[in-house]
Amino acid sequence: MMDTKVKDALDHIRASTQELHKAISDAAAKRGGALKADLEVVPQKAKAITESIKGSIDTQNEAIKKDLKEAATYLEAVQKHAAEGLKRTGHAFQASIRQTLADARASAQKVSEAVAAKRSAESTKTRK
Amino acid sequence: MHNYIAVVFDGTTKAYEGLHALWQLDDEGEITVHGTAVVHRNDWGQFQVDTKETHPALATAVGVGVGALLGALAGPAGAAVGAAGGAAIGAATGGVVGATTDLIRADNRDQAGFETRSVIGAGQSAVIADVSEDWTSAIDTRMRNLGGIVFRRAWSDVRADTWFDDSYLYPYEYIPSSYPLW
Repeated sequence: MMDTKVKDALDHIRASTQELHKAISDAAAKRGGALKADLEVVPQKAKAITESIKGSIDTQNEAIKKDLKEAATYLEAVQKHAAEGLKRTGHAFQASIRQTLADARASAQKVSEAVAAKRSAESTKTRK
Repeated sequence: MHNYIAVVFDGTTKAYEGLHALWQLDDEGEITVHGTAVVHRNDWGQFQVDTKETHPALATAVGVGVGALLGALAGPAGAAVGAAGGAAIGAATGGVVGATTDLIRADNRDQAGFETRSVIGAGQSAVIADVSEDWTSAIDTRMRNLGGIVFRRAWSDVRADTWFDDSYLYPYEYIPSSYPLW
């Protein structure tokens, strides 16, 4: 069994992307002004996670790097679509929210896959 | 191995215990959970997916993806089926067909959907999950202890489905407030 008590940078990044998705999906349940107020902080949060990824990517193996790069790309899309959404109304606004949520989900997926790759590599090492 | 699983339980409370157990396994580093959702089937065969109440504009027909996944997990015969117990084999091969299902994303506890055949029987609930696992025993053992039956298919096989969509899976443990279990 792996040592489960030690959470590394990748685990923290994963938790951050999960939180980001949670924040956006919680916001999406609201209406009008409340939704927009919650959405305002999203680009900033996404940018912070992107920076964390960029700061830890060099220490990872190639497979993990690939997942993290894709996650960073999705997070940049989160920033873009959330920022665009703030300027829009009606159907265009709703489309932006939907896209922002999808991008956040994809970024969380990619970071999670990076964590799985890391766990699998460490598990293989332990068994040798 | 990157797999989709459905763990079928006889009751909703058990399904949420199963959901919690999956995320616990993730926390222990035994598996990595990428996304989960809980689906119910009522006595009339209708399905519902527990989701957050979303803005009406977001409640699109993503349920098509739920149906595609349930169908993929149900069959075809010979598909990789992970069994938490001997009963799972019978359940997987006896009368369950990989019929394409259409479901409508439902707000929490609202009924939605169309009649279909699936891994989930009437009155049952299931945890659907996207997981990475180096061995299947971790999930199978934990779910068997909770009374769940595990159906499993390779992620790459299911993703080939044109109708596939897993956007309804939450990338963290989501339990509706109506189930204050933990």
